[in-house]
Parts: sequence; structure tokens; C-alpha cells
Amino acid sequence: MGEEKKDVWQGTLALMILKTLEMMGPLHGYGIARRIEQTSGNLLAVNYGTLYPALLKLEQEGYISAEWGYSDNNRKAKYYKLTRAGRKQVEKETRSWEETTAIIARFLAPEER
Amino acid sequence: MSWARAFMARVGGLFRQESRDRELEAELSSHVEMHVTDNLRAGMDPVEARRQALLKLGGVEQTKQNYRERRSLPVIETTLDDVRFGLRVLRASPGVTLVAVVTLALGIGANTTVYSVVNGLLLRKPPVPAPDRVMVLSSVEPAKGAYAANRSSVSALDYLDWRAQSTSFASMAAADFDDFTIGAKSTPEWVLGARVSASFFDAMDVYPALGRAFRRDEEEAGRDQVAVLSHELWQEQFGGDPGVIGRSMKVNGNHYTVIGIMPRGFRLGGQFQARFWIPLVPLRDNLSGSGRDARYLRVFARLKPGVDEHTANSETKAIAQRLAETHKATNEGWGADVMSLHEFSVADSNAETALIFLTGTVGFVLLIACTNLANLLLARNSARQREFSIRRALGAGRIRLARQLLTECIILSLIGGGLGVPLAYAAVRALRSHFNWNENALAMSKEVMVDGHVLIFTAVLSILAAILFGIVPAIHTACRDANEGLTDGARGATAGATRSRLQRLLVVAQVALSLFLLVGTGLFVELFIDEVHSSVGFESHNLLTAAVSLRGLAYLQANRQKEFFEAVETRLSSLPEAKAAALASTLPFDSPDSVRLRVEGHPVPRPQDEPRTGFIVASPEFFATTGIPLLRGRAFTAADRAESVPVVIVNEAFAKRFFGTEEPLGRHVQIDPSGGARAQSSEVIGVCADINEFLGQQEPRPELYVPFASHPTGTMYLIVRTRTQPLEATDSLRRAVWAVDSDQAITSLRTMDRAISDSSQGDSLMSGLMGSFALIALFMAACGIFGVLSYLVGQRTHEMGIRLALGAKPSQILGLVIRNGMALVGAGTGLGLLFSLVLPRLVAASFEGISNLHIWALLAAPAVLALVGFLACYVPARRAMRVDPMVALRYE
Repeated sequence: MGEEKKDVWQGTLALMILKTLEMMGPLHGYGIARRIEQTSGNLLAVNYGTLYPALLKLEQEGYISAEWGYSDNNRKAKYYKLTRAGRKQVEKETRSWEETTAIIARFLAPEER
Repeated sequence: MSWARAFMARVGGLFRQESRDRELEAELSSHVEMHVTDNLRAGMDPVEARRQALLKLGGVEQTKQNYRERRSLPVIETTLDDVRFGLRVLRASPGVTLVAVVTLALGIGANTTVYSVVNGLLLRKPPVPAPDRVMVLSSVEPAKGAYAANRSSVSALDYLDWRAQSTSFASMAAADFDDFTIGAKSTPEWVLGARVSASFFDAMDVYPALGRAFRRDEEEAGRDQVAVLSHELWQEQFGGDPGVIGRSMKVNGNHYTVIGIMPRGFRLGGQFQARFWIPLVPLRDNLSGSGRDARYLRVFARLKPGVDEHTANSETKAIAQRLAETHKATNEGWGADVMSLHEFSVADSNAETALIFLTGTVGFVLLIACTNLANLLLARNSARQREFSIRRALGAGRIRLARQLLTECIILSLIGGGLGVPLAYAAVRALRSHFNWNENALAMSKEVMVDGHVLIFTAVLSILAAILFGIVPAIHTACRDANEGLTDGARGATAGATRSRLQRLLVVAQVALSLFLLVGTGLFVELFIDEVHSSVGFESHNLLTAAVSLRGLAYLQANRQKEFFEAVETRLSSLPEAKAAALASTLPFDSPDSVRLRVEGHPVPRPQDEPRTGFIVASPEFFATTGIPLLRGRAFTAADRAESVPVVIVNEAFAKRFFGTEEPLGRHVQIDPSGGARAQSSEVIGVCADINEFLGQQEPRPELYVPFASHPTGTMYLIVRTRTQPLEATDSLRRAVWAVDSDQAITSLRTMDRAISDSSQGDSLMSGLMGSFALIALFMAACGIFGVLSYLVGQRTHEMGIRLALGAKPSQILGLVIRNGMALVGAGTGLGLLFSLVLPRLVAASFEGISNLHIWALLAAPAVLALVGFLACYVPARRAMRVDPMVALRYE
């Protein structure tokens, strides 16, 4: 991937993680990865490994917090959940994306009326 | 501000890395396990399940690496890695490291030493709060023709008017700096002090740490016998006794009460030195009409908040202008000047030019050291070419490699700089003990030390030096094609060519710099040698001198002064150690007072145009005792007294200047014709030889001698010609003086030869320093040339072997190598000479009074360098000559 694409990708990945956590509640890394793949309709074929640096970044920025817990199979796993700042960030990012897509849509739509 | 939080988190990630790694390991393995479980449930077999899980993760190591890079600050980690690696590298090649560190220690140490001096003398501000707000106000003499207007002291009336009329200053104070005889201990001592107005402490904004400062009402006669002492004087005279307030101290024979002690470290330099302060009571004469002409006060003032120096300057000039118009008799043409205390002291010290030259010299020494090191590193890095190529092949970026090399250089430099500090410390100690030619110099030496500023300078300089010498080798090495060094037999091909060209260039540069430095320092050494060899014009050996400044009410009358000194002279001449004794108001080689003069038969249009001459009061035995030859006429006798016909003796320079080829004997002059007791017409009765005061650098000054008996003064020098070593007679001299009056302090007790060398104001110190730096540079240049040539010859061993095998004689090889080496030396010398041509003129222009500058330095320097260069070539050449052709050919 080129440098630019990587940045854009990292930005969207962060939003996808946050949104997933908002909808699903606390989840471990594997679960988040699986969920993102599902939600995107399996259109995104990503390396799960790219998730972990992104999770770390979000944790450093204070949008998510991590805690070790037990999965359904009683396996130890690190669970992530949204913080309050994270929730606010989700709203903000969502709004910003909606605006962007609206503007682009106008450009891409055929000239009408 | 999530990014700030993230940054702090990353800083935190530098620590406890092992436990974080374990946590990551656990998380990733749990991830994989969960994926495997799902895969198994989906129907894959265990091996496939695991394989798919790992594939989907995308490379465990890669993930871990990305995670780690995100976790902390990679820059810091890589730098720490570089430092660790660098230290290993330096340990692995101890020879190179040692040479580099020693070179750096010398170069940086020299710079640190000079900077300590510069910091102490030029850069350090006076120890008062807001030093830039303290100003010195001076009167400015009317400009005389081509000469720049001189700043001078201020009269009491002018000071009072300035203080009343100016609005720019929060406080203004006047001070009269003088020397005093104090007696708190048994023997009287001569000490510098000042009479100051009470507002002095306000102007400085420094108040006594113990006791109090003066009150306004203490500025009156009768109430002024109070004194504030400096911390040092308090320690010396009263042993630091805290009960000193209220105790009494004798000042010029009178009892003064100590009322305050200034804080430790309060010290003004140069002509403002004082070890204690007493109130300033202007004499009544100075407060009336013509007293406006008596300019003897120094004026300090602190700017009001919000006012700047420029405004204050304009305002004071305007006030001076008004005074010049209202008091034409005394102030016509006089102006004023306001300058910050710091600037004034710097200008006063005359040290600026010398220090600039020193700084330049020592900077060159460091440059030469850096070229040495650059060469050294280029050679050393070629041996590590393989290492770098492998790293490039493994994916290291060029910048990364260059960074690593630079880090190694910085480590070297910091170690070298660290070693340079104790060297500088020792050098500064030695320097300070040589700063002893007068009181001023002693005060200056106290300011020179290795302090915090100097250490910071050293650290910064080390890093800059590292970048300077490291950048070229770093770029050269890091930007090599990654293939080189990996293939065998690739020695010497294209990389070698660029490298050796660079190295040769560096040698040429080094030789050029060394030449420039040698010429410059050579000039100073030459000047000094000239001075040493000049004859002084009289017999200066076996002369003991001392000064006595009479203090005390008893000596206000001229008669009493005459009695004292004549009694002392008689006693001195009857001492068994003495062959003869005499008195003089100034010693030869000291600057005499100067007075205005009217020569009979040579009228001048205006009083301002009257010429000046040096003026010396001497006893009849003066010429016999000092050995200054009397060329015409006669010396003074006992008959030349105040009541008899006034007579003078002039020196040759005077006769030449004012009488030309005419006979001076019998002519008349009027000394200080502005009025007063001196304005009588005196007859010239003798002509004496010139003292070679400027040691051949300048024409001698015109000087005029008058008999002591007719012009007694309170301060005279005693001159004794001794039969043996002059210093053996010091006790006898002291006893002789104290036998007449035991309350008088004796100062400046030293031999005439010492007085002469003291008057050179540190020239010997300067040349000594320049000479040492030249030697260091020469040594470094020699090492540099030697090192590079050895290396280059070593690279060409193969070629030498072939030549020898093909029939070349060893002497031809010798010749070849020496020719190559000397070509470099020659190129460097030529280049350096070109730039050096400007130096003689530069030195002559910067140091006034130097007229004769031989060009020996310009000739000697290239010769010395060529010789050194030749020697440096010779050893590698001999080694090349001894190469065994079979060994060379076999060794690929």
C-alpha cells in the first residue's frame, strides 16, 4: 500500500473498531476483527494483524480501554471497551464521514435539473 | 488533545518493555487459539486450522514489530541502540579511538580555555541586578582635529546639574576612585577604594548584607567617617568577624567606623575597582565657579523603567550642550556620553582585540583537528565496508546508516570534550597565575574560571565538532552502492578512488589551515622576540623600585612632602647594599603624567592647540642611578630648588620635536601655562637619551624632567641601585622608609626589570599562548599527514609489489611516495600562503603602535611545515619501499 492509502486505511480502521465496540460492547481483538469482516460483507479482506497496532493507538489516545478477562470458552483474552471520550469520538467521526460522503456524492452525481 | 495523550503513552512505552512484550505475546497467542477453535469448528483439520489462522494474522513477527513501533518512540530506541553499538565499535578499534579522543581533547580543551577567558573578561555582566540598566556617564572632551573625542571624568558641578536636570534615571551617583592607606592590622596597607555618594548603592541596586549603606547626611565633612567594606576586605582585615559593625579602621591616618559589609561577589572591575567605600564629600573648591573644570568623578546611573539607553544618551547630551553654553569658560565644546557599564568596562580593558585573535587561533586548531578526524574516519570506515553493505542489503536506509555513523562521532566527541575539560581547567589555572602585570590584570584574573556557561559551551562545541568532522565520512560511507564490499576483490576500485580523493583533499585543506595558523602565531612570536631583544636604553638590571603615596594631614604641605622624601632618599643611599638612590614621579617604562606646554619662540594660535609632553619629577641623582645617559648640559643639583631659577631637562625626542636641529640648551619653556604655580618660564639645562619605551615599535615620547626640590609631590617612586640582587635589599628599603614614618604604606616593590616586563601588559602571555597553539596545530597536522599517507600507501601495497616485481628499485618507490606526499603538502602550503598574505596587515591594524613587521613569519612557516610534511611522508615511504613483492602479489 502507498503511504497515503495507509493513512486513510488506518483512519477508517479506527472508526470501524470504535463503531464495532459501540454496537457490540466489550470485545476481544479476534472478535473485533471477525465482526469487521462480517459487517463489511466480507468485502474487506484484511490481515488481522493490522488490527493490533490500531487498537494500541486507540488505547494510547484514550478512546478505548483494555482489560484481561475470560471468553465464552473460558480462554483468557484481552477485552477492549469504549471510553466516554471514545463515544464522543464515534459521534464526531460519524458526522464527519456523513458530511464528506454527502459532498462527494454531489460531485459524482450526474448533472440534473 | 488525544495526540498529546498518545505521545505521553509512547514515552511510557519506553519502559518495562519486557513485560509488555509478554503481554502482547499472550494476546496474540490467545487470538490465534480462538481462530484455530473457530476453524476446527468449521471443519478444518488441526494442521490446516492453525495454518489458516496464522496466514490470516499476517505474520506474527511483522505484527509484533508494527505493534512495538507504535508502542514507543522508535527514534529514541534506535538512537539508544546506536549508542550501544557505537561504544562497542569504539572499543573494538582502540587505536583509532585513542587518537581521535586525544585529538579532540586537545582541540576542544584549547577552545574551552580561551572561552573561559572570553567569558570572564568580555561576556560576563557586572554582578548587579539588571546589569544592562546601569550606565556610566562621561564628559566628552572637545574633539581635537583628527583625534576621536575622548571620554573623561566629570566635574562635581556638572554632576549636580546633570542629576538635577535629567529625567531618564531612577538614581545617579558620583564616585572618586583612589588608593588609600588603611591600617586595621599592624602594618599599613595600600588598598584601592572609592569615595561615593550615598546614591551609589541605589544606582547599583546592591546593598550591604551586614549593616547599612550611607545616609545622605553622611556626605558632609565631619559626619563622613564611616565606611562600607567589601566582603573580601572584611575577611582579610577583620577575619570575617560578624561583630565588625561599629569597629574602627584607619583610613589615611583617620579613624573611620565600619557600618556595612557588601555581599560576597559584589565587585566592579577595571578602573572601578574598590575594596571599600567611604562617603564622597566634594571639596569646597570643586563646588564653586572654576571648580567646574576639575573633572575627577565617575558617574553611575540606573535607567528609569521604560527608558532606554538611547533616550538617556540624547537627553544627557542635550543637558551637556546647555551647560556648555551657560558656562563657556569651563565647558565650551564639552559634551556627554552615556554607555552601559558592561560596554564601558569592556572597552576599558583593551582585551577585546587580543581575545578575538586568540579565539580565531584556537578555532583554527579545532578545524585542523576536525580534518584530521575526518580523514581518520574515512580510512577506518573503509575497513567496515562489508558491514555496511550487509546492513544495506538487509534493508537499512541510508539515513539510518549515516545516523549511526554520526552517533559514533558524537560519542567520540563528547568523550574527547569531557577529557578536554580537565585540560582546560589546568590551563586556566596556569593562565591566571600569569595575569599579574598590574592591579587590573590581577582583578581580571579573578573573573576567569571554568563555570557553568563554559561547560555548556564545551558540550555544544563537542556536538558541533562531531557533526563537522563526521558528516563527510558518514555521507560518503552510507551512500555507497549496496553491492560493494559484498563482492570479493572489490578493493580499491571506484569507492577507493573517491575516498582517496577526498582524503587527499582533506590533507591539502589541513596543510593550508596549518600554514595560516603558523603564520599568524609566528607574527606574534616575532613581535615578542623583537621586544625581548630590544635594549631599553638604560641599565635596568640591579635596580630596586618601590612607590610611596603619602597619606595623612601632616603631608598636605609641600614642605613636609619634600622633607619626607629627601630623608628617605638619604637613608636609602647610605644603605650598605645600595650604590645609589634616587626619586622619580614615574618609573621609566611607565606612562608619565602629561602636561601642556608653551615653547618660547613657537607660539600657537589657540590654547587648545598647545602641545603636550610627558612630565617627570626627578631628584638630582636620578640620571646617575638609572644610568640614563645625559647627552648635553648638566643634571640637577642641590642648588636647583623652588627659590632658584626654574630648570628642566628634556629628552632627545623632545629636543627633536620642539627644537629640531637648533640648540636646545638655554631655550625656555612654560609648563602648564593655564595658570597656577607652575607657570614659570623654565630654562632647558640638559638633554638626556630616550628610553626605548616602545621597544622599537614606535617613536619615543617627548619627555621633560623637573627637579624634585622645586616640584615636590606626595607620590614618588624610590629607585635604588643595588650592589647585588635587588630583591635582597627589600627589607632594608622598608626599614629605611618606616624609619622616617612608620604609617606610610610601601607599594609596587619590585625590580626594574620586573617593572619593564609588567609594562608590556601581557605580551609575553599572549605570545606564549599563540606559540603553544601553533605547536599543537603543527603536531596535529603532522599526525594527520602521516596517518593519511600511511593509509594511502597501505592501499597501494598491491601496486608497489607489482612495480618491484617488474624491476623498480626500492629507492624509486621511496621517491614515488615522497613525491606524492610532498605534492599534497606543497598544494596546501601554496593555498595557505595565499590566504596568509593578509595576516601581517591585519595584525598591524589591530594592535596600535606596531609599525615594523618583518616577514620572517611568512618565510619560516612554510619552511617548517615543509620539513614536518617531509618527515611525515618519510616513514610510510620507507615502509612502502620494504614491501616484499611476493607477499604483495599474493595478497588480494
